Amino acid sequence: MVPIRPFVAEFAAKYAGYTCQEVTQDYRLAFDAACKCAAGFDWDAVVGNMVYVWAGVTQAVGLKYYGMPGVEIGPETGFQYREPSEDEAFMRVEDYEALIEDPTGYLFNVWLPRVSRDVVGMGELATFRNNMSFLKGGMAMLSYFMGFGSQAQRLREECGTASAIAGILKAPLDILGDKLRGYVGLTMDLHERPKQVLRACEALQPHLLHVALAGADPAKQVPVTIWMHRGCVPFVTPAQFNEVYWPTLKPIIEEIWRQGHQVLFYAEGQWLQHADAFLELPEGSIIYHVDRDDVFEVHKKVHHKFAISGGVPNFLLSYGKPEEVRAFCKKVIEEVAADGGYIMDASAIMQNDTSIENVRAMTEVTREYGVY
Amino acid sequence: MSDKQEKQVTERRPGVCVPWEEKRAEWGDLPGDEGIVKRVWEETDSLAHMYIWHLLVSF
Repeated sequence: MVPIRPFVAEFAAKYAGYTCQEVTQDYRLAFDAACKCAAGFDWDAVVGNMVYVWAGVTQAVGLKYYGMPGVEIGPETGFQYREPSEDEAFMRVEDYEALIEDPTGYLFNVWLPRVSRDVVGMGELATFRNNMSFLKGGMAMLSYFMGFGSQAQRLREECGTASAIAGILKAPLDILGDKLRGYVGLTMDLHERPKQVLRACEALQPHLLHVALAGADPAKQVPVTIWMHRGCVPFVTPAQFNEVYWPTLKPIIEEIWRQGHQVLFYAEGQWLQHADAFLELPEGSIIYHVDRDDVFEVHKKVHHKFAISGGVPNFLLSYGKPEEVRAFCKKVIEEVAADGGYIMDASAIMQNDTSIENVRAMTEVTREYGVY
Repeated sequence: MSDKQEKQVTERRPGVCVPWEEKRAEWGDLPGDEGIVKRVWEETDSLAHMYIWHLLVSF
């Protein structure tokens, strides 16, 4: 059978009768929503909680860069990441050498005070809120991460559903853009100081590999997920992809594979123009997830080496008719899944604009036609 | 710790915030099992590494 592994985020809240605020603020409600979805739709695998950014951690730490439902934004809108303006980037351009020399020290001593309302900078007088930020943030993170183990067991025992992923990775260049220099600052740096950008990516590499492996499935049955953001053309030039993004990411993927884990390439956006680079990876080492690319073209290009997931457009699942969803999914099953190595899923994580009726149509047509 | 001493800290490898070598230097001879002290120090220290890197990557 063609497996179904939908990445449902705020959709799960909608299905279970919770607001975006409820599942973002209380991860136990998010876990509950994921279980209700898994049981109600008879899926093969689901993420334990795809509304991943738990407000308990972000609010304990005092992080400035989120708009949270029910707090900074309306209660029925998914949480928002708010990138600062170029001149207020969390990492200044003069910080490159400090980051390169000691990434962990830089993050604690320079980055964290800038991104937190409560953490004070080095040399400043400690405050009660500073101390509480570390204590509560650490305790909250441990509480949350430990909850995923119970959630995986609950999905398995109550719903007959596997927990879909374990471990997290982002490309060094995406970390620089997403959390440190900001996208605009990074694009300027790629032009004005490309060697420093490359060295910064190289400094981040071993730590990102460590984080990915530390959270990977000990049984090696489900993949580590890389969330791929703005490292593709047109966000960067082809040369910047070839000279910075890919050379600093590829070794991480290869090492994760050497240690026995697949990586789910959650290629958000359009990445097919870089397929030749991805084909350098060992056969079977990744599952290529399709977002805005044409899933039929992706199949032609990479399926001889890699399994594929996704490719069912979110706009179709949100605004299309059930019969349109059925027709598209049936076409995917016939043309992409026919030779195996395909996992049914939407193109991108499903939020609360997704139609329950359409998700049911996607599930039913996969069960009906996705049989080998 | 002075700025100079901070700079002399052993390189912070992945999984490490306060290296064992730095902590060990605070003591003279240990009367007991140094191995278990080192292991537990490094295990709890790695939690701090996890904290900051997950704030960066996951949150």
